[in-house]
Amino acid sequence: MFRSNNIVARIFERQIRTPRPATSVHFARQFYENLVPSYTIYDVECPDHSFRKFTDDGLYLISFSRNHQELIVYRPSWLSFSCKGQDCDNHYLSVGAKRFESFFTELYCMSLASSNELICKDFFLYMERNQVGLFATSTAQIHDAPATGGAVKGVPSIEMITFHLIRLEDGVILDEKVFHNDFINLAHNTGVFLYDDLLAIVSLRYQTIHILQIRDHGNLVDVRAIGAFCREDDELFLNSNSQFMVASDRNNQHESPVNHVENTMHDNLVIPDNSFLTGIKQRLLSFIFQGIWNEEKDQSLKIQCLKKKFYIHFQDYADLMIWKVQFLDRHHLLIKFGSVDGVLSRNADHHPAFFAIYSMEAAEFVAFYQNYAEELYFLFEQFEDHFHAPSKSSLNVNFISSHSNNIHTREQLRCIKNKSSSFSQFVKKALGSLPFPCQSRSPSPYFDQSLFRFDEKLISATDRHRQSTDHPIKFILRRQPKILKFKIKPGPERGSGIGGAKKISSFLFHPILPLAISVQQTSFLQQSVVNIHFRR
Amino acid sequence: MNNASSSGRGGRSWPSTTSVSGSGKRIQKEMGELHLFPPADCSAGPIGDNLHHWIATIIGPPGTPYEGGIFFLDIRFPGDYPFKPPKVVFKTRIYHCNVDSSGTVNLDVLKDGWSPALTISKVLLAIRSIFLSPDPYNPQAPGIAHLYLVDKTKHDEIAAEWTLRFAR
Repeated sequence: MFRSNNIVARIFERQIRTPRPATSVHFARQFYENLVPSYTIYDVECPDHSFRKFTDDGLYLISFSRNHQELIVYRPSWLSFSCKGQDCDNHYLSVGAKRFESFFTELYCMSLASSNELICKDFFLYMERNQVGLFATSTAQIHDAPATGGAVKGVPSIEMITFHLIRLEDGVILDEKVFHNDFINLAHNTGVFLYDDLLAIVSLRYQTIHILQIRDHGNLVDVRAIGAFCREDDELFLNSNSQFMVASDRNNQHESPVNHVENTMHDNLVIPDNSFLTGIKQRLLSFIFQGIWNEEKDQSLKIQCLKKKFYIHFQDYADLMIWKVQFLDRHHLLIKFGSVDGVLSRNADHHPAFFAIYSMEAAEFVAFYQNYAEELYFLFEQFEDHFHAPSKSSLNVNFISSHSNNIHTREQLRCIKNKSSSFSQFVKKALGSLPFPCQSRSPSPYFDQSLFRFDEKLISATDRHRQSTDHPIKFILRRQPKILKFKIKPGPERGSGIGGAKKISSFLFHPILPLAISVQQTSFLQQSVVNIHFRR
Repeated sequence: MNNASSSGRGGRSWPSTTSVSGSGKRIQKEMGELHLFPPADCSAGPIGDNLHHWIATIIGPPGTPYEGGIFFLDIRFPGDYPFKPPKVVFKTRIYHCNVDSSGTVNLDVLKDGWSPALTISKVLLAIRSIFLSPDPYNPQAPGIAHLYLVDKTKHDEIAAEWTLRFAR
């Protein structure tokens, strides 16, 4: 069928043609092929902040002050200006219009961190339904912290990590949640996952998954802590029943369970060498045990199988640490377990790791995989969207390309798969991205693989800093006529002056408007160069 | 995980080469026997390559309040095994009058009643038997023993709840 790429022709076509059922959204999104951020204002005069991201509904631009003490929130607005003369389109933008303030209105600037705290600039989660943001501040990290009070050896400690729940509309702090002498991996939202109104926060130091709920009134409420215990009232139950346990040895300290719920002091517990398995470990070990026990029917073979597959590794299983967690739905968590050595290392690939699916309601594991399990990979390949667990409220987040919703992304994956020399290595690498960090991908239509093609080494929907290149990044139409539609050039128009120095770029795309910010930084001391890309 | 010895427990608990030939051989022999004739609902095996440190699993016997539970036990064989009894400690919380609050099992067989003629299979059977019939007259947790004698229904209720919460 004849399809014109001319926008007027397209609008006519939209009038006379009804798209196939359930495709009207995709049809409408094709207009983004005509509306692209092809015009760039280089080196915009703007406040020296570090720009974090646009919220997924496009209502706010989040930024932090350079000293990591203040939060500054902007409202993105569309550029409007007037010009004298007749052929306005051919005029250059006036100097007045080229300012940062023409695109963004400052809503407020507020101090978030106290004197010895800093805002974690890599951490921000947004709850679209209530328009509330979750921010984190923390004190400095202590690397050689003693492992007291049930803490895991080898994990650094942070004296105070505070989560701030802020209403973005007016900057009111709704609630705060403090973790003391704990360690939560805040970089790229790794240690915290938001699903609808539920938050999962992984305390690496105390090996506890804290489940919190963001109530409509803006309170952060503890729902349960999974770690030492599984159900929310296990600890209460144990304490209320210990009256029957009038122990023969009163000096036995380790019976008194630690109170993880109110993250106050964790150091009232001394875990001796020979202590009970924690709640989550008991469930995990018993799940692994039962898997092997039920697999083999013959009694004698069963015992031998257990010896070889289970008992020999028992201590390794018992020593496994919770690395990362994500929600799969409101009741199921995907948990990555690994050794203590790999928990904070960048090359976690070398370390043995496992994936487990835990049902919070039943307080039991439902699946356990090694990190090169082909079964899990095939699930991942076909149902990637289920691992992304989009929240119900946001619509445009559903259009983020994945290899289960986009044929081009799937084709790319197939291509890598066929090229890889070892399938198990490929599976390991592919599964290495699980569990997914929360809200790490931009829903911008310019990253929609069914609309545009671009070099993923230079730019992608995943929010990361990249080493910048001098070459412009090309966005090519995915459909016929496959032409270059627009370029994003992060560097200044004419040479940066500092030759050879490594430059780091980051890109913030507005989720709806043809508007993007690119930030280029040479070193941390220097002021960064900010460019605004938009449709003129 | 493929190489359990990498975790460093390797030969640490091997006291001397002579004890390997003594207690080690005996433990190996018992392992063979256990694999040929495993007691019902029980299994056990050494952790890593340390013959003197085992883990055993007892599945809560049906018809008891421990039904459905998977109970892990830590078993350490002394260097002069079988002349001294192994030390058995529950790794799983259990509500039982013969197990103290730190998980240590109070069994005559593991104390004065120990005989070098006993084997790990017999020890496992003995522990399994206290699941079926606790011994409240020789308690490690007097409170539980008292409740067991006074109100067995309540005792069983609590024990079943413990199994559900801590031993699944």
